[in-house]
Amino acid sequence: PGTASLIQDIDKKHLVLLRDGRTLIGYLRSIDQFANLVLHQTVERIHVGKKYGDIPRGIFVVRGENVVLLGEIDLEKESDTPLQQVSIEEILEEQRVEQQAKQESEKLKVQALKERGLSVPRADTLDEY
Amino acid sequence: QSLEDCPLDEDEDAFQALGEEDEDIDQFNDDTFGAGAVDDDWQEAHERLAELEDKAGSSREPDGPVGNDGDVLGDPEDALAERLTRLVVDSELEDPAIMQAMHTRDPPQPGALNSSIWDSSAVLRRIRGPLLAQEMPSVSVLDYALPQRPPQARDEERDPSERALPRRSSSPIIGSPPVRAVPIGTPPKQAAIPNFNQQILCPKPVHIRATMQQRYPAPYGERMSPNQLCNVPNSSLLGHPFPHSVSPVLTHLQRAQLLGGAQVKLLPAGRMSPSQFARVSGLVGSPLPSVNPKLLQGRVGQMMSPAGGFRAFFGAPPAPPPSQLPHPPGPGSHLQNLRPQPQMFRPDTTHLHPQHRRLLHQRQQQNRNQHRSLNGSGGDRGGHRSSHQEQIRKDPYANLMLQREKDWVSKIQMMQLQSTDPYLDDYYYQNYFQKLEKLAAAEEVHGDGPKKERTKLITPQVAKLEHTYKPVQFEGSLGKLTVSSVNNPRKMIDAVVTSRSEDDETKEKQVRDKRRQTLVTIEKTYSLLLDVEDYERRYLLSLEGERPALMGERKQKICDMYDNLRGKAPGQDRPSDDHFMQIMCIRKGKRLVARILPFLAPEQATDVLMATARNLPFLIKKDAQDEVLPCLLRPFSHVLYHLPLGTVTSLVQQLMNLPQSAASPTNLHLTAVLQNKFGLSLLYLVLSRGEELQSSDTNTELMQDNQWTELMLMATRELLRIPQGALAKPMSIPSNLISLFSRYVDQQKLNLLETKLHLVQGIR
Repeated sequence: PGTASLIQDIDKKHLVLLRDGRTLIGYLRSIDQFANLVLHQTVERIHVGKKYGDIPRGIFVVRGENVVLLGEIDLEKESDTPLQQVSIEEILEEQRVEQQAKQESEKLKVQALKERGLSVPRADTLDEY
Repeated sequence: QSLEDCPLDEDEDAFQALGEEDEDIDQFNDDTFGAGAVDDDWQEAHERLAELEDKAGSSREPDGPVGNDGDVLGDPEDALAERLTRLVVDSELEDPAIMQAMHTRDPPQPGALNSSIWDSSAVLRRIRGPLLAQEMPSVSVLDYALPQRPPQARDEERDPSERALPRRSSSPIIGSPPVRAVPIGTPPKQAAIPNFNQQILCPKPVHIRATMQQRYPAPYGERMSPNQLCNVPNSSLLGHPFPHSVSPVLTHLQRAQLLGGAQVKLLPAGRMSPSQFARVSGLVGSPLPSVNPKLLQGRVGQMMSPAGGFRAFFGAPPAPPPSQLPHPPGPGSHLQNLRPQPQMFRPDTTHLHPQHRRLLHQRQQQNRNQHRSLNGSGGDRGGHRSSHQEQIRKDPYANLMLQREKDWVSKIQMMQLQSTDPYLDDYYYQNYFQKLEKLAAAEEVHGDGPKKERTKLITPQVAKLEHTYKPVQFEGSLGKLTVSSVNNPRKMIDAVVTSRSEDDETKEKQVRDKRRQTLVTIEKTYSLLLDVEDYERRYLLSLEGERPALMGERKQKICDMYDNLRGKAPGQDRPSDDHFMQIMCIRKGKRLVARILPFLAPEQATDVLMATARNLPFLIKKDAQDEVLPCLLRPFSHVLYHLPLGTVTSLVQQLMNLPQSAASPTNLHLTAVLQNKFGLSLLYLVLSRGEELQSSDTNTELMQDNQWTELMLMATRELLRIPQGALAKPMSIPSNLISLFSRYVDQQKLNLLETKLHLVQGIR
């Protein structure tokens, strides 16, 4: 049977997407059989629209079950991106604004559903994904 | 208080006999610069070594002062070990001399360790590789000498002197099960050199075992691990290799071994590894005692050549250039192992004899050079490697994960892949690879392009170990203690199935239950179908004697399937198609029928066909959403090819629902049939078959002929009547329909029919 292993990926820069939506970028230092990861010089990257901001986080130990996907970053192509990097404060502000907008639209949606007598999808019945 | 194992000159005569270099000068150097020194700057260590080199060959000094050192130095065993190793290390030419010398030293040593050293030296003679001969004793020193040191003290002493690299306390070792030898199978790239491997591998495991078992049997004894395959063979061999107290020490041991292993590995550049593993592959099923040496070999082989092994493992067919790049870091990482390890090693090697240390460094240098030359000759990979080396060199945090740990993880992953029945466990993967191979074979036939070696992950087929697990029973206890575990789960809940016997069930419930029953039937039949489809493969794999039994089983299952389809325990006739209809209403049921049909006997298949035809409008209505009926067309056509005319006639009858007596002006049945893609196609097929039979076989009975003619007339009448727009588009139009219709209708109508049904070739 075919198998994928992270052993070849060690000591390379990776982008890791977590289940809670966070994006971490760091050097993959160590793994184990559950795909628990040790990321070194990790940076949490927040994307809002075309902008992104990096928050340096240091060393991360990620439990394998929380990883959605991860991929190696080509160091040469890394800078080759249409996205614009902004400062941390700015990106956090943008994120906050985005969250607010989302909440507003969600509220409207729920309102509309209620008016029509349809069931409102609740967080506990929804899967995380 | 210095804790180095400054070698003691207990048996000086032996040394003088062999004329070794002076360790005393080195001793002094150690005192001055070495062990006690906190600063582990590699430069300083390097300078120290340089001094050593300079002083080599100078006269010996009396070792009086040396002998006066603390208790630690008064350890005869260590001294002896040091002596021995150095002896073997420095003069392989004098092997017989060494042997003599070592034999004389028999009494003071403990028995088990004796064996280890003797074994190693005995085997050394057989070893062809000079490197190994040198490396062996260094390793034996390490694992022999190290555990005797009070490890705690050493840790504390070292901690401040450790560099940036984090202290590997016990986490990788405790948290993980002890390193085990794993039968990892890979296709041997070269079938050659198994002997070489054997000899190489032998020495290491033997002496490792000796040391380990001697010291740490107890803690491991009670450990029960669920991973039977892995642990059962190993527990008897290795005590607990990594008890907490000596873990850091052993880490260094491992590193040293890796160092030695790295050298060997680099030379054949990965050729060895696959063959090693291939040998190890058949391991797991074998009985315990015989497994021991092999497992150890595998284990060591694992340590010795991980990168090459990985290349074999993970070189799956879709291995485009990007994945090539990771391979170089394999050996590159080995290099990296060497490079930072000197930095790590310096503080740790202070306990080693300086001479020893020097040799280690020498060997490292050698390896680096060799590897570079290998790189140059490595061909197209060389460029990649060197660039990667550059990158790796600049990364100070690289290789935090030791090769041993990587091996351990990959070993676990490989173990998970072992399967007793790959077709059962990983059906789609197997099929995928078969298809690929077929494609490759086809390509090869066409052109003689380069034969791509599809390195497939061949996992060993482990024989099914039948474990009848008996729950643990305690002796002398009153009553039976229920010990529940994974293999012996305890019954927690008494779940009783209460069948409904209420009469006042609502109609909906009944319907729902009935539907559920049907679904269950479908599922059961599907399982039977999968088994039956699998029989062919099993047939090929089985022995001659078993085959009749297999066939019998197969037949039985086919019958069961048919029974399931048609409903169990029918009367003489099959009065109701109800059961069958229920199945056919469900999408999966239709697909199931389509798959089963090839296996059924002709009568049974005809039966199914008839039932379908009889109820076709109903089915059509039900199929409106799913549109799965056309899948039945193919198997139906196969069945049709074998039908005699009589059957065909009745089939047409069914299709058109033409009872002999009445003939309503509009034949709804037929209309429905004609308006449905499947129906029309089926009708065409049937008609075509009939025509075929008629034209071929001229001796048909008159009776049937009449019936057939009648039917055909009616059919053509209907076809003409129906507006063209209402006609469905059939899946295929048999070519002999024109000739069919020409028998029964006149030219004008024939033309009409032709245009209507697009019977003429070219119009479509």
